[in-house]
Amino acid sequence: MRLRRLWLTDFRGYPSADVTLDDGLTVVVGPNGHGKTNLLEAVGYLATLASFRGAPTDALIRVGADRAVVRGEAEREGRALLLEAELVAGGRNRAQINRQPLRRARDLLGALQVSVFAPDDLALVKGGPAERRTYLDDALVALHPRHDQLRSDLDKILRQRTALLKQAGGRLTPEIELTLDVFDAKLARVGDELAAARRGLVDRLLPVLGRAYDRVARAQAEVTAVYDPPWAADGLAAALVAARRDDLRRAVTTIGPHRDDLDLAIGGLPARTHASQGEQRSLALALRLSVHEVVSEHTGTPPVMLLDDVFSELDPDRSDALLHSLPAGQTLLSTAGALPAGAVPGRVLRVHEGTVRAD
Amino acid sequence: MAIYASSVQDLIDELGRLPGVGPKSAQRIAFHLLKLSRDDALRLARAITEAKDRVAWCSRCFNISEGELCGICADDRRDATVVCVVEEPRDLVAVEKTQEFRGRYHVLQGAISPIEGVGPDQLRVKELLTRIEPEGIAEVILCTNPNIEGEATAMYLGRLLKPLGLRVTRIASGLPVGGDLEYADELTLGRALEGRRDIEG
Ligand SMILES: Nc1ncnc2c1ncn2[C@@H]1O[C@H](COP(=O)(O)OP(=O)(O)O)[C@@H](O)[C@H]1O
Ligand SMILES: [Mg+2]
Ligand SMILES: [Zn+2]
Repeated sequence: MRLRRLWLTDFRGYPSADVTLDDGLTVVVGPNGHGKTNLLEAVGYLATLASFRGAPTDALIRVGADRAVVRGEAEREGRALLLEAELVAGGRNRAQINRQPLRRARDLLGALQVSVFAPDDLALVKGGPAERRTYLDDALVALHPRHDQLRSDLDKILRQRTALLKQAGGRLTPEIELTLDVFDAKLARVGDELAAARRGLVDRLLPVLGRAYDRVARAQAEVTAVYDPPWAADGLAAALVAARRDDLRRAVTTIGPHRDDLDLAIGGLPARTHASQGEQRSLALALRLSVHEVVSEHTGTPPVMLLDDVFSELDPDRSDALLHSLPAGQTLLSTAGALPAGAVPGRVLRVHEGTVRAD
Repeated sequence: MAIYASSVQDLIDELGRLPGVGPKSAQRIAFHLLKLSRDDALRLARAITEAKDRVAWCSRCFNISEGELCGICADDRRDATVVCVVEEPRDLVAVEKTQEFRGRYHVLQGAISPIEGVGPDQLRVKELLTRIEPEGIAEVILCTNPNIEGEATAMYLGRLLKPLGLRVTRIASGLPVGGDLEYADELTLGRALEGRRDIEG
């Protein structure tokens, strides 16, 4: 998969931009705050319809404009794809492939894949369980867009269930009880399916993760990642029955895939609390690299790698290790400083106050 | 500071409350209306008032109706033993267009959605239950939308109705998941009706 060209209209600080990318390494340079990350974010948006910084859609539209357009010319297995996403302030986003409007913008998912590496990836290891759930679920969507539906169904059911629990105020009328039974049945089905998908993913990631860690850390260590939700043994339906009194009292869903964690350990010790900062960074990079590898293998074509300012946070040794661990494929890398030794860009883009210029 | 005269602003605000009309469209429609001749504008106002005065809910199925019973309920060629349950009158229209269905309808006037404060008590669920016996209903087809709320509503009704010894079916999938019945094309919806299956617990 290749992204050949990218056009932006009113995306972040760019009134308009027209950028040609190299098949190998494209480096984006420029002073801080001038739009390097924004450019990578636009590519990420075309792939996932979301900001990898977690920004809401409205923040991606240039201040003063009421819509933004990201358009990319991609090539996949020799086929040209023109991908377009339109972001509308306070409205419905739209998307097109080869000028054919898609019924739902989310049908764009899967047309372009990216693997994002960013400094705050450290939160994958140091942060709370939500970071690791997002990591797993994003990877699942990259493996198959149907997981996007699973994820949004889960979200919707949970919001409905919470509203119902609040409304119940601790008491079950026959109507509320039957309604709760119905939402629980839906939640159990979606939850069991998501947990099975996450478990399958972790099984595929594990062997790759160990090797990636050794390469990045340049050391041998036993890395483990365990996804084993407490409710999995008997299924979510049974767990929801057991938790119902508690859920009613607290008006939240206390158990389910939205509460799970992926337990990471290095040398048998929990990585979040026991690993050194350096080990944590290596593990975070390894987590990203292994999803990249698994998705490449599964889809038959490596995702476009987006490396946002990652080298600024790494010591020279780890920078060098990362650079040499990067698989072949198209890469877009942003940096405010110098390139690590050994990086050979095919193209350099200079960003200045919302304009991009090729060297 | 008010930008428009207050009567214009009132018009824009009222239009903006309509479904699918954002502030920009509301403004556009308002200025379009102001450009119309007085007769044309009043014709629209009259159409709204008349529809509002004349149209009420069918006392049997809660479809929109100008009389006590809607056209479908009043038509005695329709099969009274099969009832198709839909969320809104517009879904009824979509099913009618397929010309696959010769029974009667029941319009819930919504779907279960706790977020919006809509539970079974806010829907025409009790009214459906009271129809079963007197009309001799033998099959209920649940034609709610294939999204979370529609699916939950179908399952809820299934659990209420099955113990009554009826055949309870759900339109087959094949409808776009997460979609609206209203937008399904006639062929897809027709097939979904034909391929309906008994609802699971
Ligand atoms: N919606 C927006 N409209 C206009 N400018 C924006 C918007 N969002 C971000 N910016 C600008 O983008 C700049 C940040 O760009 P960024 O790509 O993060 O910089 P860097 O080159 O350091 O990676 C901010 O200074 C801000 O002025
Ligand atoms: Mg940046
Ligand atoms: Zn009627």
